Amino acid sequence: MPLDKVTQVAQTKPWHGSIPVYGQYTFGIAGERFFRDIKDKGRIMGAKCAECNLVYVPPRIYCERCFGELAKWLEIPNRGVVHTFTVAHADLDGNRLEEPIVVALVKFDGVYGGLVHRLGEVEPDKVTIGMAVEMMLKPKAKRTGSILDIDYFKPIRA
Amino acid sequence: MQRRVAVIGIGYTPFRPISPDLSFKEMMFEAAQKAYEDAGVCPRHDIDAFVTCEEDFTHGRSIFNIHTPDNIGAVLKRIHTLPAESLYGLADAYMLINTGLVDVMAVESHSKASNMLTPNYLIAHAMDPVYNKPLSYNPYFIAGMEMNRYMHERGVTKEQCALVSVKNKANALLNPEAAYGDRISVDDVLNSEMMFWPLSRLDMSSPADGGIVLVLACEEKARILCDKPIWVRGVGWCSDAPSLETREWGEAVYARLAGEMAYRLAGIEHPRKEVDFAEVDDSFSYKELQHLEALKLCRSGQAGFMVEEGATKREGEFPVNVSGGSLGVGRLDEATGLQKVLEVVLQLRGEAGKRQLPNIKVGLAQSWRGLPANSGAVAILSNE
Ligand SMILES: [Zn+2]
Repeated sequence: MPLDKVTQVAQTKPWHGSIPVYGQYTFGIAGERFFRDIKDKGRIMGAKCAECNLVYVPPRIYCERCFGELAKWLEIPNRGVVHTFTVAHADLDGNRLEEPIVVALVKFDGVYGGLVHRLGEVEPDKVTIGMAVEMMLKPKAKRTGSILDIDYFKPIRA
Repeated sequence: MQRRVAVIGIGYTPFRPISPDLSFKEMMFEAAQKAYEDAGVCPRHDIDAFVTCEEDFTHGRSIFNIHTPDNIGAVLKRIHTLPAESLYGLADAYMLINTGLVDVMAVESHSKASNMLTPNYLIAHAMDPVYNKPLSYNPYFIAGMEMNRYMHERGVTKEQCALVSVKNKANALLNPEAAYGDRISVDDVLNSEMMFWPLSRLDMSSPADGGIVLVLACEEKARILCDKPIWVRGVGWCSDAPSLETREWGEAVYARLAGEMAYRLAGIEHPRKEVDFAEVDDSFSYKELQHLEALKLCRSGQAGFMVEEGATKREGEFPVNVSGGSLGVGRLDEATGLQKVLEVVLQLRGEAGKRQLPNIKVGLAQSWRGLPANSGAVAILSNE
């Protein structure tokens, strides 16, 4: 069946649609505990699988390796190393950022997992994989119980 | 009962940055009509089951997959829809035919990426809503971080990654269906806009629209209906941990395990010797190198040298992404995997036109689901 092919793009008509999508996402047992500790005590908590000898950060109540249930909590040091990083030059809309953001996955000694966050107090071209960094929290009064209670990670000066 | 499974029909629309003339339903109709013509089947009488593979929202609609039966001839017939990468749909068809439940089956996937006006927000909304999304970063930061770690672990250079973009865009010049063919240099890639260091603009594929339909059949039907059946010798799939924090950042483990499954089913022990060419995911330049290593199509840490030596060029000893890949064809959302299969089938049939490879028997197609996923599938096809 021959289709009538369009030759004038300007004459084509798309329908424009949008929907308001609002939802909520339950923090859950592990998330509640993690963010309450960040907010109130300024510390990172992990959950341990004794079977696999893995400490999960972010914590969770199940082990992705053995499917065991995790109930043992422990405090994680707030210093870690940059496992990998990027220098982001574009924002969510695709516009150029005036100041590029260094985004990193920070891993902690003896921990399976880590935290994704930005690095601060460092020039992007000075960042390296393996660089030691420490967590910088917002002042306690400004914390709300979210990942943004962590302001950034900054390099530890030798 | 274990039955051989063959691709007996292919249909596709051209792959273009925009498609203002066809709605996604018309695009599906066009691809399906061509595939059924190619296979010599009527969908209303000859096809037992259908599967369509697309992610929701990606064409600006919600629960859109209720709208897929009518335009491919599947109303009142068995159809299931996968919100997944389309190579998984091929695997579904393989299983249903292999086990004897179905004789002839159609697999559909398409991209109408140009209809989604805010794709970054869609990807960002798919990240962990508690630990990752509140950071409000452009989600392509994940690719920048992965490229950095991969290069660090395997000693791959930015120049070697750039060579992948140069090669694939040049390959696409010989593919009339490809949207992003171009003759560029390594310097063009290195000097292109820095996006998510070390990822530059020309390390990234751009989206394209297009539809693909394949018809598959059991051996008995394939022999009757088709002169050149292309046999699906093996399929495999795998998901790594989805969280950014615990996933593997250097090696593409999902591709290694999917490949191992497909090789096992196909009876392949030495992939590099027994496979003649491959279409692997190259959504980003480094992904091609990372996937070649994971699929054991080169020795660990050797993918960079392989592209440097020209071994993966069209005229090289192991051609990779002769179609132009996603860098040259355009990234087709969830249809990307079927585009890889389509090229392997065209090559094995000897219908690849100016880019036809000589003396080939076995081809591999591999897909990655795209950001922020960490999963993918593999299919191995043969013309004998
Ligand atoms: Zn465990």
